[in-house]
Amino acid sequence: MKIKRIAAVAAVVGVAALVLSGCAVPRQSEVITGSKISVAWNDPMQEYNTLSATGNAAANNNVSYLANSSFNYYDDSQKLVKNTQFGTYTVEKQNPLTIKYTVNEGVKWSDGVQVGAADMLLTWAALTTHLNNVEAKYDADGNITNQAELDAGVFFNAGAVKGQGLDLVSKTPVISDNNRSVTIVYDKPFVDWELSFPIGVSAHGTVQLAYPGKKYTGDAANAAIIKAIQTKDYGFLSPVAKSWTNDYKMLDMPTEKQKLLSDGPYVVTDLKDQQYVTLTARKDFTWGPSPKYQTITIRVIGDPQAQITALQNGEVKIAEGQPTADLLTQIKGLSGVNYKAATESTYEHIDLQVTNGGPFDPKTYGGDAAKAQLVRDAFLKTVPRQDIVDKLIKPLQPDAVLRASLQFVPGTPGYDAVQKAGAYAAYDKVDIAGAKAELAQAGVKNVKVRFLYGKTNTRRQQEYELVRQSAALAGITVIDGGSETWGQDLSAKPNSYDAALFGWQATSLAISQNQANYTPGGLNNYYGWDNAELTALYNSLSTETNTAKQDALLVQADQIIGKQAWTVPIFQFPGVTAWSTSVTGVKPAFLAPQYFWNFWDWAPTKK
Amino acid sequence: MLSFIIRRLGASILVVFVASFVIYNLAAIAGDPLGDLRGSTAPNKAALIAARVEALDLNVPPPLRFFIWLSGILRGFIGQFTLGDSVNGHSVIQLLNSSVSNTIQLVTASTLLAVIFGVAIGMSTALRQYSGYDYTVTFLSFLFFSLPAFWVAVLLKLYVAIGFNNFLASPVIGPIAIVVISLVSGFVWMSIIGGEGKPRLIVFGSATVITAAILLFFQVTNWFTTPFLGPGLVLVLGALTAIMVTSLTTGLSNRRALYASLIMVALAGAIWYPLQFVFTVAMPIGVLFAFVAVMIGLGLLAGLLLGKDDRWPSARAAAITAFLVSLLVIVDRLMQSWPDYVNAVGGRPIATVGANTPDLAGSIWFTSLDTYTHLLLPTISLILISLAGYTRYARASLLEVMNQDYVRTARAKGLTERTVVMRHAFRNAMIPVITVVAFDVGGLIGGAVITETIFAWRGMGALFTAALHDPLDLNVIMGVFLIVGVVAIVFNILADIAYTALDPRIRVN
Repeated sequence: MKIKRIAAVAAVVGVAALVLSGCAVPRQSEVITGSKISVAWNDPMQEYNTLSATGNAAANNNVSYLANSSFNYYDDSQKLVKNTQFGTYTVEKQNPLTIKYTVNEGVKWSDGVQVGAADMLLTWAALTTHLNNVEAKYDADGNITNQAELDAGVFFNAGAVKGQGLDLVSKTPVISDNNRSVTIVYDKPFVDWELSFPIGVSAHGTVQLAYPGKKYTGDAANAAIIKAIQTKDYGFLSPVAKSWTNDYKMLDMPTEKQKLLSDGPYVVTDLKDQQYVTLTARKDFTWGPSPKYQTITIRVIGDPQAQITALQNGEVKIAEGQPTADLLTQIKGLSGVNYKAATESTYEHIDLQVTNGGPFDPKTYGGDAAKAQLVRDAFLKTVPRQDIVDKLIKPLQPDAVLRASLQFVPGTPGYDAVQKAGAYAAYDKVDIAGAKAELAQAGVKNVKVRFLYGKTNTRRQQEYELVRQSAALAGITVIDGGSETWGQDLSAKPNSYDAALFGWQATSLAISQNQANYTPGGLNNYYGWDNAELTALYNSLSTETNTAKQDALLVQADQIIGKQAWTVPIFQFPGVTAWSTSVTGVKPAFLAPQYFWNFWDWAPTKK
Repeated sequence: MLSFIIRRLGASILVVFVASFVIYNLAAIAGDPLGDLRGSTAPNKAALIAARVEALDLNVPPPLRFFIWLSGILRGFIGQFTLGDSVNGHSVIQLLNSSVSNTIQLVTASTLLAVIFGVAIGMSTALRQYSGYDYTVTFLSFLFFSLPAFWVAVLLKLYVAIGFNNFLASPVIGPIAIVVISLVSGFVWMSIIGGEGKPRLIVFGSATVITAAILLFFQVTNWFTTPFLGPGLVLVLGALTAIMVTSLTTGLSNRRALYASLIMVALAGAIWYPLQFVFTVAMPIGVLFAFVAVMIGLGLLAGLLLGKDDRWPSARAAAITAFLVSLLVIVDRLMQSWPDYVNAVGGRPIATVGANTPDLAGSIWFTSLDTYTHLLLPTISLILISLAGYTRYARASLLEVMNQDYVRTARAKGLTERTVVMRHAFRNAMIPVITVVAFDVGGLIGGAVITETIFAWRGMGALFTAALHDPLDLNVIMGVFLIVGVVAIVFNILADIAYTALDPRIRVN
């Protein structure tokens, strides 16, 4: 009898344990006690909330990446990897697009509170416009007229745009699974849904920061915020929104521990005056690959040369930056240092204006679109892309190549497909004869191209000079349009230039972001580019959720853009990552968070 | 005096106001506060731009926006002082707070040392005009003056930091190196001290032998890994200090001053052992200041007691000696912590970047050593450059003063050369130097831009250059400008006041 009872209890306990642990194998921390690593980055961390309009900077993202886990991350081959030990997300329904996010039991903030629905709900509230109930109004002098209203209202400063991205989720997410799951429904299909719903800062911490007097416990704070968001309690949310926007800004170690709560492998334990930030491994972390170093210190060293000497002197183990030719020679000469070219996310390109009455505008030729296209094609054929790479980039990165796609970043399968299709291959080699023939065919003489670029940037000056010399051979006069205010001129003075040379920073693999560049009315389309086929393609892309089909469509997009002779990519900005041989497992990656992406693999070299 | 200061301040406020208006507008034209967002492909780019425009009032034209910025300062009168926000939404005051303290930490030591050594070297070259020493210093100061700061910094990092750290791994100076270093040192001392024929050879020989002996001593005692002074070296170095201080302040002929100074040295040697129980790892920093203060006080006392007719000069000499000797004792204590410190930073003590080793916790000895190893390189590079200037100014100015009538009169009175130089010529010679120093300090607070960049020091210069880059951070630029402007003005007023103290003929009114 007694034994039976005990056995029954044991069985119940055993089953419960299995259920509770989600049938997972017990995991152990692999952190090596006392191990330390210092790495260099060029900017200081200034904000812990990386989702706010001011906090989305590489230096902040790196710290946040070390301190927080998420449903997925990019590996070094730009593949999105799901972290099922943290939580899962599944598409419940395709139409309307319904996704359920579940955080695993036992995934906890560094103060012991379970990560869950409240956090996701707050992020939804912050990244959409649905709970922002005020906007600043201005008088004629630009002064805010409704300051009082702003102070009382709810405004999450996250740069959310109506009808874009996560904002398409207009209904308040539904909570389930004991506050560990939320289900969100997109009003319209949205192609980048997988990248659009991060966890963000802790909800209970933000509430505690907003109401320091109320002494909320973690669970009570979570319950309060869930209720406030579900009932749209603007009075309660107003201070929360202010805390979310402002309280995570910091230059020095804050006294409130809520400001640095982490739900990942590390937690920030020291932050000094913009000089360094130190993260220490959490003992209770089990939901993801275990890191090996007990502490990681990111030191702020702006000058790449100083980073390399610090690496040489053993003060940092990993350095990263834009190289100069001298620096590269120096790195090569160092013993005990590995290095790898790691290009940056910005790429250089030339865009042509087609609606400003210039040489590339059909209007100039009485609306003859074919003629204008011939002139554009002729000009792009004279652009010495390979020469620019050989003369200006290869000294900094010996294995530099031409960028072959505008839609894909190098290293992705789609990029290889575009390269194979040769979307911009016609411009790989300078073709003066071809350019002359096309100009003759168009019957256009004395083409004058006003060339806009950043005047203070030496490299762009040199690029302009190479373009000018090459174009002159085909009888095209390139006029120096170098300007200090090129950034403003791009959109504000479209009539002042015919071609523009600058870089786009593509920091994410989101597919929808290119639409703004190549469709009419797009935010980054300063040139009046308009192609019905391309626009239709982008529209169908925004509802396409099959990745293979997405890639196929984007390859097509690149080909259409290439045929239109609107623009041509040139090179990826060169970068270099160097690390000491006393650390193993460093793998520079191309996208943010760059070399940090596999920090859990870093380990001291065994002696 | 008061009316002078008020008049100067009034005029200065006007100057700062006009200058800041001009700078504000020029800086606003020079860059683009949205520069970083222009090339962005983020889907919410427009919203991000709108948020920044709203936060920084970018839709107001700069000449008018200046007055929004100014109103932030004027609101200081009702307790709401603000210098605006940076592009990232940080309060400029906060940013300046951390940067100013970093810069002050960086430039204080180098300025003080550069002034002291610059004046000392400059004056001594003036007194030995056209000697080998004079020519050598002239040559070196022109050399350093023309060296670019970034190049000096890189050389220092390579040789003083990385090279020395590598050397520390196995600190052995080979016999050939000892011979070469000793000979070079002998040659340098010979050309500095000068003289003819036999004395020249004697200087050369003794300098060579002394250098070799010191190097051997270092070698035998393993001094580089476990440096020490101990009571013995404290006594020897202290005695040398006492003789030097007395000869400069009162002259060695004043035996009472010399004895008072030497007594202080003996005292330091005597209390060395008990002091080791006071200078523990848990000791608060206040004790250190108290120790120095007590030593100075005892020095004064010893001088007063021994001095008889000529009390105060003896007291002064003994106090200065006491101060320097207590520094020696402190250095000795720091040296005892050196091996542990080297161990704690992984065997590579001399740092090339930053202001301190991250997360290094420890006693004040540890943190002081850490500050020292981080300050060493930037301080040397700052000193090398400004020292050259001060040397030239001090030399020229002392030479001019020494040729004036009142100096000849002083000599004719039969005063000793020491009194003529130290008491009559020195003060007047300082006037032009003070002017230069005042200007330099104003400039240095603005940040030693290049030095800060190369040594990854997050000071005013780093803040300023970062603000000039994409995106243009106008409020930060203005914050830095305001501080530099105010400091420059204050130091100029201080310089004017210092003139009256140095030269009784000058009246500020």
